[in-house]
Amino acid sequence: MSRPVLVRREQVLRGGQPLAFGIGLAVALVVGVLLLVGSGHDPLRVYERMFEASLGDPRAWSVTLNRAVPLGLAGLAVAVAGSMGLWNIGAEGQIMAGAIGAAWVARIGGDWPSPVVITAMLAAAILGGGLLALGPAIARARIGVNEIITTLMLNEVAIRLVQWLIHGRWKDPDSHNFPLAPMLSDNARLPGLFERAHVGVVLAAVVIVLFGVAASRTAWGYELRVAGSSGATARYAGISLERKILTVLVLSGGVAGFAGGIELSGTSDRITENLSNGFGFAGIIVAALALMRPSGVAAVALLFGAVQIGGQSIQTMGVSSSVSTILQALILFGAIAAGVLSRYRVEMVAGDTTGAIR
Amino acid sequence: MIGLLEASVSFGALLYLAALGEMIAEKAGILNLGVEGMIAMGAVTGFAVALQTGNPWVALVAAVAAGALVGLLHGFFTVVLGAEQVVSGLSLTIFGLGLAAYVGRGSVGRPSGAELVPVDWGPLTDIPWAGPVLFAQSPLVYLAVIAGFVTWFVLWRTRLGLAVRAAGESASTADAAGHSVAGIRLAAVAVGGGLAGAAGAYLTLSLTPQWAEGIVAGRGWIAVALVIFGAWHPGRVAVGALLFGLTLALKTRLQTFGVDFSPILLSMLPYVLTVGVLVVISIRSRNRPSPAPAALGIAYRREER
Repeated sequence: MSRPVLVRREQVLRGGQPLAFGIGLAVALVVGVLLLVGSGHDPLRVYERMFEASLGDPRAWSVTLNRAVPLGLAGLAVAVAGSMGLWNIGAEGQIMAGAIGAAWVARIGGDWPSPVVITAMLAAAILGGGLLALGPAIARARIGVNEIITTLMLNEVAIRLVQWLIHGRWKDPDSHNFPLAPMLSDNARLPGLFERAHVGVVLAAVVIVLFGVAASRTAWGYELRVAGSSGATARYAGISLERKILTVLVLSGGVAGFAGGIELSGTSDRITENLSNGFGFAGIIVAALALMRPSGVAAVALLFGAVQIGGQSIQTMGVSSSVSTILQALILFGAIAAGVLSRYRVEMVAGDTTGAIR
Repeated sequence: MIGLLEASVSFGALLYLAALGEMIAEKAGILNLGVEGMIAMGAVTGFAVALQTGNPWVALVAAVAAGALVGLLHGFFTVVLGAEQVVSGLSLTIFGLGLAAYVGRGSVGRPSGAELVPVDWGPLTDIPWAGPVLFAQSPLVYLAVIAGFVTWFVLWRTRLGLAVRAAGESASTADAAGHSVAGIRLAAVAVGGGLAGAAGAYLTLSLTPQWAEGIVAGRGWIAVALVIFGAWHPGRVAVGALLFGLTLALKTRLQTFGVDFSPILLSMLPYVLTVGVLVVISIRSRNRPSPAPAALGIAYRREER
């Protein structure tokens, strides 16, 4: 009897991650065909419609780019923490906290000039996201509290905070008793770029590039990677782990908060409890697919934006939007499997290998 | 008041089933953040099978199987392929919620085919207070209690349980002792998924009983929180489940009691409490061992030990 085992390759396959990503996409599309046939739709026509609606013309691109913004920034937030071996699972809540900060500025700055109010909104958004991450950051840096769970728990708290605000003191008096915040005034909206795209696309791209450069070209980025790979080495090199953990997690929260501010000011009419529509969680998948690298984050976010926008468009054909949700998870599952195969090869080994040393 | 307690037990049992499952997986070293997705798959499968067969017990079994299968997916990626548990688990949540919405798209708003009716305990049900609170519940409430005892017994009183805990504390030690770490972890994740599936069935066969997208409504995250709140022990998790169940039950009843406190703020309580407990655990574990399984979240590849 023989059984398969995974043996680490001496060298990681070149181009492994883009290849793995492609395989993941292929797996997702094939399973998608099964789902679509299962619900009585023509898969080719559905995919064609998805492509057209997301990447078919400038207008489609503009919508997809808008969607890629929160996905990319959430992905970046996860990647920033991830480059140091930390997990920020709280982007979902930090996006909400950022939106709360931005919405608060928009409320008090109703008659300020537009550039002032928008700048203040985005600054408040960064602050809001950073503030929500501050607790988990201190707890992790000072007493070693697992940041996975604390950031995860605060998601639920932040979403309820928004609910509480829009059910209470932020409720629009003209909303006929619906729990709705008032619409943003015009001066609080991000200017347009082309078609439906807003300048948030540029802002997000700049932030991602900045972090990309900081991560790969600066001593700060280098120290992060050292600290992430070995705490002992970092201490030996004189890097203060406590301080690094604190700044990285707060920064990560700030980036996610920034996404919330842009999402509110750019694409949403008002703050709602659904403002971060799973962006924070999708951001974790984006970052994982990008292997925690900022450059990869941008590319993957664009593709996920296209899948999401395409997924919305096929609802008019009677296709459940859940198909696009499933596709996103399947891309990751496929890529995980393929990614493993770029680092390991499968070997058949004989019989009972209990205790065998290889 | 009796209604409140009855609802606390009822909501608490649902959380308990899912939290027990998560606890078993974590005890074996696997963090599964896919609970929300597994509950959703159990819920929709239970509902769909009840519609087809009209038999709630068959539906329950199907829901457990569905949860276990989805759980095994997480097992495949994290145990067999050694993928990051956080990433795989969260993807499982997204995948499970998506697939459940897809499977259940024709069932939204339909009346249920069969329900698990409350157990008739005869005269016990007539006892004041205890009767309605303890003896008029869905069969799944009693199953949850039994599952709790069985989990405690197996984990702490059998050799199998010792092996499971060893896999979660120190995988290489478990391996050296001749246990299959991969086998144990896969089985634990599958059992955990099955319990989450049962929690889902409870939702659509007993509690609501209907299927709608978003029906799980964050209960999976509460279950994850409960495991920590209960410090990885079935008894303490049960206490936590009742407490969190009480906050869920209070949410809709605050106003009827004339209490002027926002039910939304109240619903933050489980999460805030869990963060608090986690901080306390961390402070205390400076001079005594943490209750968290030491190898939790760490992939084990025997070839690289």
